[in-house]
Amino acid sequence: MKSIITIELGTNAVRVFAFDLEGNVIGSLKCYCPTFHTEPDHSEQDPEQIFITMLYVLKNLLNEKIHPKKYKVECICFSSSMHSVLAVDKNGNPLGNAITWADNRANKEAQELKNSTLGKNIYNATGTPLHPMSPLTKISWFKNSDKERFQQTAKFLSIKSYIIQQLTGECLIDYSIASATGLLNIHTIEWEKDALDFAGITTDMLPDLTPVFATAGKLKKAYQISLGLSADTKIIVGSSDGCMAILGDGVKEEGRATITIEDSGAVRVMGGKVLQDERRRFFNYLLTENCYVSGGPTNNGGVVFDWFTRQFGDFKNPFDIDQSMEELIAEASKVPVGSDGLLFLPYLLGERAPIWNANARGMYFGLNIKHERTHFVRATIEGILYEIFSIGKTLEEHRNIKSLSINGSFGTIPFCTQMIADMFNKPVRLRSNFHSVSFGAFLVAATEMGIYKSLDEAALKVYLPEEYKPQKENHSIYAGYFSVFEKLSVGLSDQFEAIAELQHKHSTTLKKEAALVYK
Amino acid sequence: MNQFVLQQGNSKELRPFPHILELGLRKNISIQLDSFRVSSAGGIRIYNVMEGKFEWCINHQHHVLYPGDVALILPDQAFGGENGVLGIGSFAWLHLSIQKLESGEIVTGKWSNLSENESLAIGKILQLNASPVLLKFNEAGRILKSIQTELFSQEIGYHASVNHLIDELFIQITRHLTRQSNPGRDFPKTFMNLEQTLRRNLSHQWTVEEMAALVGLGTTLFNEKVKSYSGFSPINYLINIRISEAIKLLKRPGISLTDIALDTGFYSSQHFSTTFKKLTGYTPSEFRKNHLNEK
Repeated sequence: MKSIITIELGTNAVRVFAFDLEGNVIGSLKCYCPTFHTEPDHSEQDPEQIFITMLYVLKNLLNEKIHPKKYKVECICFSSSMHSVLAVDKNGNPLGNAITWADNRANKEAQELKNSTLGKNIYNATGTPLHPMSPLTKISWFKNSDKERFQQTAKFLSIKSYIIQQLTGECLIDYSIASATGLLNIHTIEWEKDALDFAGITTDMLPDLTPVFATAGKLKKAYQISLGLSADTKIIVGSSDGCMAILGDGVKEEGRATITIEDSGAVRVMGGKVLQDERRRFFNYLLTENCYVSGGPTNNGGVVFDWFTRQFGDFKNPFDIDQSMEELIAEASKVPVGSDGLLFLPYLLGERAPIWNANARGMYFGLNIKHERTHFVRATIEGILYEIFSIGKTLEEHRNIKSLSINGSFGTIPFCTQMIADMFNKPVRLRSNFHSVSFGAFLVAATEMGIYKSLDEAALKVYLPEEYKPQKENHSIYAGYFSVFEKLSVGLSDQFEAIAELQHKHSTTLKKEAALVYK
Repeated sequence: MNQFVLQQGNSKELRPFPHILELGLRKNISIQLDSFRVSSAGGIRIYNVMEGKFEWCINHQHHVLYPGDVALILPDQAFGGENGVLGIGSFAWLHLSIQKLESGEIVTGKWSNLSENESLAIGKILQLNASPVLLKFNEAGRILKSIQTELFSQEIGYHASVNHLIDELFIQITRHLTRQSNPGRDFPKTFMNLEQTLRRNLSHQWTVEEMAALVGLGTTLFNEKVKSYSGFSPINYLINIRISEAIKLLKRPGISLTDIALDTGFYSSQHFSTTFKKLTGYTPSEFRKNHLNEK
């Protein structure tokens, strides 16, 4: 029997899935891989730890589920989080840790671009928002602020490029990951000269560009032996987690959008055309030639409810956040829709789409004497999802969205899914216990192998059985409160700036934590 | 309760207990200037505030202690009142000599009934601890009081009982410390702290008991939590960090394989080689060769 393996390199875990050729899951394993915050603005991962974790997870899955049942692994397809940057020397060895999407050290470079014509042109060419998350600004930061490392750097890789290079020796970057660097012209699929100049690099300092279906050479002999895989196992470079998440939900045509809510979140649409937004609020990433995944990301997804639970949950059992969260959600479900007018702005981590304001902060608004503890619980969840809705609403200025699908651990909590359906006033589909990113990678691999003629045909294969129908009366309540939410998000911009500045000035805990790590 | 001080060498009560350097209780009814100067001493000092409020300087940091709080002063750390001042209130203290191993680790002495492993683990946790003040730790006061009663009344079995109580004090301090720094709400953060501690002390031969104690959990629950959160068993997670660090060192010329093995916590280069090959498919020397001559 034949099988397909998918490997997802995420910012907090490596996930490996094994599928049969029908797309049924044979087995899956996930192991944690940490992100380090050595300074308040920094967010890094150890590339060797990711590599070792990946080998460990892959080997265990193969030994537990694949080899004993005599499955033959036909191919391995990768996906990874976007925007990572890893500097390597002339021998291909890392110069320090990889920098993740959540790293804000390049804030100055991003601001500089944002306010310039050059920035506008680069955004239009590359589709990547001008934000410290983008490798364009990060590499520029290296050039300006870590000159020694910049001098020693032979290439700037993505995490996935590095991991694949360790396995096969090939140094590649796929269209999707490349289109999230801010350096790739998404219309011509060539590196963009203006962006390279701003970053201070040349094309030979980047991996070779390939389509997501490309094969990345053969596994090195030692890995063939230690993993028990044959030399003809195809290694497919694959795409980004974001592109895979929408493909994995079977969205390939217009009229549908996919919502992903894990710690952070995004609303995405797919289509043959780039979204041209005057206010530059969206990303436009490439899945394949002439196929764009567009949308907006939020920083404040499930991570905000995690925060709330840690502060106000019961924790009858030490460290049992799942139990505490369930209890809170049960409490929230007893509070009327709209939390009797208590609103929550979820911007605990600043915000990206649609307001793109790093200074934005959280807030409870509309509090009156009748509000109780449980109102806060529900308002918190509603606030997180109003933010998702606000991204969706701005997307609707450009695209007609008739139905939604949802994935990610926070978004697929039934209470949240229903709330999304009500806020959007659209049906939402999903499959429980389904991992959209991995399934997207399966579809890419299966298409490459010829099982499907095209990704369009592959996408038809996806069936999401569960449906949440919108409830009209709930929608009108949410719609009313949302208009206030929206006005607050934009209208408070001066106050956000003032409070952020004061917080920065007086911040003791941030400095203390950073100092502890440095010891 | 009256004031008293027992001192090794001066008080016959302490003769059977050479490890107890001093035990005392003090009531201070007016502010005393220049009477409680900052000084360092060998051994461990444990101060339990019973009444009032004291501003003390521990290891060059200012702390305010209230009733129920305990100050823990490690060997050679400076301790005393701010500017030598002693505030109003009462407190009890115990000063113990402690064994310091060549490796710098501290362990309880021969008098203790703690197993070697537990003693090492407790010493490690006390040394790693960043905050010397245990808040609202009334247990310490109770134990100190019992030690005093045993020493003064000298009933049958008191010798064993005193040493037992000191062991108990160390156990409770350790548990309180780990719970205080890990309030049982944020496992990701707790796990990250553990990871950083492991990375800073990678050459140490960590046991699961030590790791669990650092997090403030029993080993069974610790194993379960780590496994469900990370997908690794605690030992496999540790090996994972060790190999990741070893890979980095292998990619740098000039460090011998034996040094890499020991620096990253393997007990021999053979052990390193076998573990490395099992996970990566390469022996460390093959791996190094490939990566130093790639281009």
